[in-house]
Amino acid sequence: MIYPEPRFLPCGDLAVSVELADEISREANARVLALEFLIRERRVPGIIETLPTYRSLLVYYEPAEIGFDALTAALRGLAAEARPEVLPPARRVELPCCYGGELGFELEAAAAKLGLAPDEVTRLHAGADYHVYFVGFTPGLPYMTGMPERLNIPRLVNPRTKTPAGSVSIGGIQCCIYSVESPGGFWVLGRTPARLYDPAAAEPSLLRAGDTVRFRPIERAEFDAIAAEVAAGHWRPRVTA
Amino acid sequence: MKLLVHDAGPLTTVQDLGRMAQLRVGLPRSGPMDRDAFVLANRLVGNDDNSAALECTLMGPRLEFADARWVAVTGADVPVTLDGAEQAAWTAFPVRAGGVLKIGAARSGVRSYLAVSGGLDTPLVLGSRSTYLRGALGGIGGRALRKGDTLPLGRATGAPAPRRVRAERIPTYGDEPSIDAILGPQDDRFTSAGIAALFDGPYEMLPQSDRMGARFRGARIEHTRGHDIISDGIALGAIQVIGEGQPIVLLVDRQTAGGYTKIATVCSYEIGRVGQLKPGQRLRFRQVTVAAAHAALSARRAALETAIA
Repeated sequence: MIYPEPRFLPCGDLAVSVELADEISREANARVLALEFLIRERRVPGIIETLPTYRSLLVYYEPAEIGFDALTAALRGLAAEARPEVLPPARRVELPCCYGGELGFELEAAAAKLGLAPDEVTRLHAGADYHVYFVGFTPGLPYMTGMPERLNIPRLVNPRTKTPAGSVSIGGIQCCIYSVESPGGFWVLGRTPARLYDPAAAEPSLLRAGDTVRFRPIERAEFDAIAAEVAAGHWRPRVTA
Repeated sequence: MKLLVHDAGPLTTVQDLGRMAQLRVGLPRSGPMDRDAFVLANRLVGNDDNSAALECTLMGPRLEFADARWVAVTGADVPVTLDGAEQAAWTAFPVRAGGVLKIGAARSGVRSYLAVSGGLDTPLVLGSRSTYLRGALGGIGGRALRKGDTLPLGRATGAPAPRRVRAERIPTYGDEPSIDAILGPQDDRFTSAGIAALFDGPYEMLPQSDRMGARFRGARIEHTRGHDIISDGIALGAIQVIGEGQPIVLLVDRQTAGGYTKIATVCSYEIGRVGQLKPGQRLRFRQVTVAAAHAALSARRAALETAIA
């Protein structure tokens, strides 16, 4: 549920976590993003940086500029106004994805586990809109849900030690795109040639909290062609408002 | 206008005070583990606090200077030699063009800092020169120094007056420190016995510790109902407790978000002290309120202003 009043959880002497709900929901996350948006708009003095997650906003502050009580009073006021309507429209980002084969090396196993044909898994996965709750854990990694109920799958019993960057994967009700090579316990259905994290870019993360993502199935030849464009720094995903 | 790396040391990285406003894309701030020691090294040679300098781990590098500079070494207690002659740490001293500076193995503490007048002039990446190894960015190509690297230097703004840190202000790192921590954010997920265990201590630091997090072993910290939470943001100093009930203090290169309970948070002004603990060394956590921590932070900042003679 969404709390009637936010909870303020101290995170040391320089940060506080503003927790708005005890659930993972679009509504709770929209309120978190709205609170962050209002903090930026109103330029609350003493707030240094914010980090949104599913249902809470981590707020870094400078205690020489604003005390804990004044900070929480200001945040309580903004949280009361933090409704999803204050947010600008979500971006829609289309990401190409090559399903199955050596790039989507667990598509067949996941399909068998789910009792579906591999093509059906691809069709279901590419037919859904995914909501980016926040970006983190590793740089550029989007935390997303929006998966069709039929793709709900337990995580791998033995996590991999290495998952290639760009791997599009599922676990539980979540869809994840590995942004850098990392260990992983999700089933890899495919790979996007898009670079989720590029430290040399002005905006190092391709996706932002609040984005809607859709996957477009592509063949291996198109994957290779886009991958070459990405490497040359020319490629941009299709983004609509 | 450069330094030539003859020997790099096991883990020597370029750091400034860190990368701001990137938590939301999953990048931690990075920066020095021991912020006070880092800032003092810069001030000794007349640099801004945010100038880039080297953070050395246990063993320092051997560097050749292409032009004359002032340098200072602070932090862990390390032998410093210039062309074979011993030099005092926590004190600015001049290096001639062609001089070779060597920082040896830490006798106590872990991280030493080498600041050079003019600062290191490696490229700014997202507003900072700090190296973040896991994200492969900042510093020299996002990695630690290697033998044969050259480090560009900024323009030195004239020779600073000889300066040193007052003897009574030079920290010692050998004892069993008491580290201030504030309960939360998930202290309600622990039993009262679990919370008491954390503050009774002591906890011994394990070798599997790095700039991302320091792992400890001690009395088991008991949960009320499991260690999983809905993933949330991880603040600097968060004390994460997972399955075995043992604490991990998350540090400057930590993951930005995660799904494990965090019983308490080490205060910002104590992070440097945690960063100077050697594996096998022990600490105790001391519970403080937010108000007491703010008073302590303010006192620490004031002390830093008068540390240099």
